[in-house]
Amino acid sequence: MSDMSWKDLRGLDCAAVRDVGEQWKHYVAKMAEQSERLRTDVIDGHLSADNYESDTADLVREQIDLFTGRFEDDLSDYADIRVATTLVDAADALEAEQKELTEVVGLIEEHDFEIEGGPREYEVNPTGHLHRAIWLHLDPPQWLCDRAGVDKPSAWYDVLDQAEVLAHLTCLYDSANELCGQYQDWLRAIMSRAHDADDDAAAVLAAMREHPPELPPQFGATYDDLIDDYKDRLSEEVASEMEAIANGESDMSPEQVNEWWESLSDAEREALIAEHPEWVGPTDGIPVEARDTANREVLDDRIGDLDTRIASIEAQLATLNGDPNAAGMYGQSGADPDELRAELEELRADRDGLAALQDRITDDNGDPAVYGQTDQQYYLMDFGTEDSGQAVVAIGNPDTAENVNAYVPGTTADLQGAAGGLMNRTETMAYDAWRREDAGEETATVLWMGYDAPDTIFPEATQTKWAEDAADDLESFTQGVRATAEGDPSNLTLTGHSYGTTVIGEAAATEGVDADNVVFVASPGVTVSTADALGVGDEHVYATTNSLDPIALTPDFLLGENPNEEAFGGSTFHSDHGSWFTNNHSTYWDETNMAGRNSMAEIVTG
Amino acid sequence: MDSPTRRTATAALAAFALTACSAVGDAVNQPPESEYTQAEAYAPMEAVAAEAIESLADFPGFEQRTWGEMPCSHNGIDDPDYTNIEIRYSFSAEVSGTDQVREAYVEELREYWTAQGYEITFEDESAHNDRQDRDLAVRTADGITLWYSVAGRVTFMIQSGCVPVSDPSEIEYVPPTGGLEPGGEGDKLDRYFPDGIPTDQAAVDPFANTRPVAGPEPFDSPGSYDNLL
Repeated sequence: MSDMSWKDLRGLDCAAVRDVGEQWKHYVAKMAEQSERLRTDVIDGHLSADNYESDTADLVREQIDLFTGRFEDDLSDYADIRVATTLVDAADALEAEQKELTEVVGLIEEHDFEIEGGPREYEVNPTGHLHRAIWLHLDPPQWLCDRAGVDKPSAWYDVLDQAEVLAHLTCLYDSANELCGQYQDWLRAIMSRAHDADDDAAAVLAAMREHPPELPPQFGATYDDLIDDYKDRLSEEVASEMEAIANGESDMSPEQVNEWWESLSDAEREALIAEHPEWVGPTDGIPVEARDTANREVLDDRIGDLDTRIASIEAQLATLNGDPNAAGMYGQSGADPDELRAELEELRADRDGLAALQDRITDDNGDPAVYGQTDQQYYLMDFGTEDSGQAVVAIGNPDTAENVNAYVPGTTADLQGAAGGLMNRTETMAYDAWRREDAGEETATVLWMGYDAPDTIFPEATQTKWAEDAADDLESFTQGVRATAEGDPSNLTLTGHSYGTTVIGEAAATEGVDADNVVFVASPGVTVSTADALGVGDEHVYATTNSLDPIALTPDFLLGENPNEEAFGGSTFHSDHGSWFTNNHSTYWDETNMAGRNSMAEIVTG
Repeated sequence: MDSPTRRTATAALAAFALTACSAVGDAVNQPPESEYTQAEAYAPMEAVAAEAIESLADFPGFEQRTWGEMPCSHNGIDDPDYTNIEIRYSFSAEVSGTDQVREAYVEELREYWTAQGYEITFEDESAHNDRQDRDLAVRTADGITLWYSVAGRVTFMIQSGCVPVSDPSEIEYVPPTGGLEPGGEGDKLDRYFPDGIPTDQAAVDPFANTRPVAGPEPFDSPGSYDNLL
């Protein structure tokens, strides 16, 4: 793990890191020209079959061709995708955090605070000088008097104002500590994201060192024995790389995955989708069209597998029911009927959830369905049945849309919801964006249920662990949207509802999200106390909670500050509540909140 | 600093407030009683839409209609037994740019709906780049909301509020209003009628088969929601 300190980050020469990356890019381009010359001038030129015709000549040409191919592959996979891109991306990411760090450190020093503690648990506290100014001299600085609403004593003999300071000492101290807390959250978020970028870069480079490329066998007595094996492995190499990427062993970022994917031939890509859809489907950085094709294939297979397992358990239970004492306590199979019934129930729930999802995104001909209102296709970007289930479904292609809005749902989100109510809400967002788009614009609306949501409000939704588990995946999703975008980057918005806002806050503050806007709807807290800590610019942070939503009663210590508070520093927009006789926590996309729906669509469509 | 015990207790209280597990809370948390079930709601919703459209002069015709739904919640959690219908009519992009639908119709509808005694629940006007957007919404006595929205597209939405979900087989086709051909290209109800839209049926009397229903069954508040949410 990165042990970069805030001072290390402040002093880092990001431009130098980027220059090295750019030099590698330049080197790759030059070397690719050399390898091309090897093919044209040597293999197809001086050593061509026209000039040298023999078995040995064929062998030499093949050997040069294999080495040239290996060299080109390694240039692309290692020098370009891993080394150059890693350095450039790391420089960009660290420079962004460095810029924020400079800002927050300036504010910390300006307010007479100091940074204490280690690189992962920095604390921001008042300096001794500030302590003395408040407690000993009863002469707090002007900014603190303004925050606390206290008149600053004009001179040492201004006893009236000093008396007022004395009467408000606790208030002044709390106000100073509140600001310290905000700067601390901001600083920790910056350093968390910087460590994440540092660790990611280190992991990619380390993975390269751990998996050095294999060269063709050398000429000699064993050549004939070895060359066929080498060719076999070469043909399997793309699949092996895809497997390593899908399993997370390559540590490549979505941007690097995309570069790798684009470096493949059409035939290689088609073969991967056809033969290994389970690897292609969930991988951020692979274009959405390809993922959709792969995921639909896997979805079909998964439903079939579940049907088979369900039938098998039903058969076992039928046997047990017919003669439960046939052999032993649980019949001949030795299976516990209660366990079988429990497993059957789970399998049926998974099967029904997946079937409902498939039904929702597939038309009667078995082709991808289209959301009629906006004439946009549904794209299945990811899914799973682990825990409550996962589903990432886009209405419209995020790779080609001008705007992308990813909706992150909250507590009790599950597969049935993804095929039902949550998808209804996603469609409503797609429709609202479509209503407000300018001519020629398109908005892709994504249901991002790529995490295991809490099943209960208490105790699960009062804990941050679900958000912590989701953070890395949400970061990767946003990077994937950027990596696969065709043309200009889209205007990317993350819209969280309820616990979904906590997920977005946690991801933004700890991992970093590559989003233009974040929208917090009915938030119980976003894990940090200031919009600045989210890394998207406080002017791009929006929040809304209607006046009858009981979520506003959530105490800050559970999931962090309420982003609707003025002190949080983001923007807020109005949402109307529904009936007094309904719980108003989930009425934000209802007929009672037209103002809020319009505001959200306005943000999403830029 | 709060003690862990105190924090847990406060967390439980906060969750209690959200789920409002009490007799009073339960009344608050019920989806409100509705006049209709989902299957019964479409006809009166389409009827009240048709009445509004008939009041508009020189109607240019809608481009499309869809039936959408939004989730309803119980205790703040989406409740699959209820749904919120939103019938969505929209003009073409070209018609959406005309003053007739962007300005005149807003005023005509305001006059018509006011004369009908409907309560105006939302009205707004805002500038968007070089565009002036407008919204006007009313609610009828039986709880149906009508929302005329002028933005990039001009749309007309009819909303049911929360109604008990019906089995898909119970939902009957209701022909569209505003010049759309029943079952035609712009009548996008494939999801509800996967076997094809029954366009051969005569236009239905929108109120013929409706009857008020008692609304959702009363909900007995359990002692704990842990296993229910």
